[in-house]
Amino acid sequence: MTSAGAPPGDSGDDRSGTVTGHGGIVVTDVHRAFGEVRAVDGVDLVARPGAVTALVGPNGSGKTTLLLVLAGLLVPDTGSVRIAGYDPVTENYAARARTGWMPDTFGTWDSLTSREVLTTVAAAYRLPRELGVQRAAELLELVHLTEYADTPAHVLSRGQKQRLGLARALVHDPDVLLLDEPASGLDPRSRVDLRGLLRRLAAEGKTVLVSSHVLAELDEMADDAVFLSRGRTVASESVESASAARRTWRVRALDPEPLAAWLTAAGVPFTVEEDGAALLSLDGDPSAAALLRDAVGAGVPIASIAPSSGALEQAYLALEEERR
Amino acid sequence: MSTDTQTGTGAPAAVPGEIAPRGDWALSWNGVRTVATLELRQRLRSTRWKIALVVWFVVVGGITLLTTGAVGLLSDSPGMDDPRTPLGPLVFGIVVFFVLFLGLLVAPTLSASAINGDRNAGTLATLQVTLLTAAEIVVGKLLAAWAAALAFLVASIPFIAFALVLGGLSVVALLSTLGLLAIMLGVVCAVGLGFSALTTKTSGSAVLTYLVVGGLSIVSVVLFGLTTPLVTVRDEPVRVWAPADTYDGLVEPTGSPQCEWRTEEQWVVHTERTWWLLAVNPFVVVADAAGSPVDDEFMGAADPLSGIRWAVREARSGPADEVDYCFDWYGNPVGDSPVAERVPDSSPVWPWGLGVNLLLGIGGVLVAVRRLRIPHRKLPRGTRVA
Ligand SMILES: Nc1ncnc2c1ncn2[C@@H]1O[C@H](COP(=O)(O)OP(=O)(O)O)[C@@H](O)[C@H]1O
Ligand SMILES: [Mg+2]
Repeated sequence: MTSAGAPPGDSGDDRSGTVTGHGGIVVTDVHRAFGEVRAVDGVDLVARPGAVTALVGPNGSGKTTLLLVLAGLLVPDTGSVRIAGYDPVTENYAARARTGWMPDTFGTWDSLTSREVLTTVAAAYRLPRELGVQRAAELLELVHLTEYADTPAHVLSRGQKQRLGLARALVHDPDVLLLDEPASGLDPRSRVDLRGLLRRLAAEGKTVLVSSHVLAELDEMADDAVFLSRGRTVASESVESASAARRTWRVRALDPEPLAAWLTAAGVPFTVEEDGAALLSLDGDPSAAALLRDAVGAGVPIASIAPSSGALEQAYLALEEERR
Repeated sequence: MSTDTQTGTGAPAAVPGEIAPRGDWALSWNGVRTVATLELRQRLRSTRWKIALVVWFVVVGGITLLTTGAVGLLSDSPGMDDPRTPLGPLVFGIVVFFVLFLGLLVAPTLSASAINGDRNAGTLATLQVTLLTAAEIVVGKLLAAWAAALAFLVASIPFIAFALVLGGLSVVALLSTLGLLAIMLGVVCAVGLGFSALTTKTSGSAVLTYLVVGGLSIVSVVLFGLTTPLVTVRDEPVRVWAPADTYDGLVEPTGSPQCEWRTEEQWVVHTERTWWLLAVNPFVVVADAAGSPVDDEFMGAADPLSGIRWAVREARSGPADEVDYCFDWYGNPVGDSPVAERVPDSSPVWPWGLGVNLLLGIGGVLVAVRRLRIPHRKLPRGTRVA
């Protein structure tokens, strides 16, 4: 997304002061029920400025509800929330001014063009007109929709709408970004772009909270992860530590026989997959490197060795295991 | 590139720094205009709307022509060439009522889905999280719906003006009628907006709005009729000035009777207790304000507007306190009657009706604003915020 380039006359560094100290998102023991359904039932969460935090959980675990609370749309039944230092319940307006929210299912104003959608939102955020127009152009460029700037939003594809929604959340240059399943419907290219964009926003000092149930896409995007299950925080950890944790690796050799023989001889417990690859449990990259060195030294024709799935996915599945 | 880490999301000057918080009820012209333009853009680009406008123009035009033709025929027929009944007021009255009728049908569709429709489409919350206040969203939507309703009114102006040209009408009447029509349509838009904030389904809010419109224009009149027994007193003592019992002038003409005060028990209908049922009716409001002089006799009111005005003012005045029955055999009044002449209250009725209707409209707006305040505590059953 470097193609987007820098907007003229824009220096970005005047922002750094505002996010230090009291920035970020702090959620303490938030509950929110809809009648009988306890959608959010005890969430604690800290999202640091300058980092991308993943909000992970299965369908119905309360991610969207939590983000609605954070966006200042819902009052939590109990618990407290701070967004960039403001309480969205008592200081809704100030919190709103600093929050960019991208809903999971969003409609667009059908008859408006992409550009008009963004200029309208800019006006709604009380940006002066010329600035809004300039902002819209920059953001369309940023999400690669310049081509569709003047087509009605309703002819955009799902992924394009999603990108427009992301641009819409960025119009007022918020300190805190709340993105609800931003990657759904995006093609691989757009996912890579999204990742790059979020990384750069974080590097600018913004707080980015991304919800998803597709764990693989969060691995390379997120610094921290918060796991939700049935409305509760079940774990928070950094992606780095999740990567370092013991997890399953997949080792494939040109010929499965020598690999199996060597592993048995070395006393490493493993299971064999249908294609002859071996699954084994290792605690982190150094162990994997050591295993690879030894195996190659022993003349086993290793073709590949990699974690069998993403770090977050494994951490998440491990949690699910524990809960059974 | 020097600003490699730049994302192009650089800081717009207006937002960061200290933002003066604004309450849910704060209004700024900028915010209202933003919402209104958004709404109008959404609507104006749908061709359905243009078609509706064209159909409206044709229908109102057709009705105007038909009325003019029919009235012309009537007045050409022998015995109807009374100079007191110019064509203008009659055609004017019919066209105005027709425009009001159609307007009351169209206005709910313009606003009754403005909020719940947006909520269902997932576009409401995206507005709410911006720096627009709840009041700005509601007033902006109201202005847009009202402007659309006014477009229909503007499309009828040629015909209303045509009726004016037919004669017998002041420009003041035209202006006051147009003004009241506009306000009435605005009230219906506001009521629709209120219901669209209250209900989940757009069909629900439309039905409720039509119920209110129907209640004001039809049920009010029906109720007025049905409640007459309730306000009728069968044995009310009424002071009458009547010939003395000794006078037998009722049998044969024998000079002038001697009249005296008596108290008789009579049936009296106290419409002064229920006239407000008529007053809240939008048609009555428009008719009462139409501004052409009240003819002192009902028979002189050849156009529907004056007729209604006369009737509602009569109803408000209620029965007389004293009645003069002092007539001789020929039915001529006798001597100087001490009975106070009944002067019907001729002060306008429409401000009352207008006031009630405006209150309804304001109520709609207040409800809508209250419903749009965030963060939401309660959600209407079965809705999601987004
Ligand atoms: N407005 C609502 N009314 C009733 N139940 C709701 C509402 N919103 C969410 N829920 C319920 O709350 C739970 C959490 O939903 P949600 O926050 O959307 O989960 P997620 O985004 O993690 O998939 C679900 O069981 C959902 O059915
Ligand atoms: Mg969700």
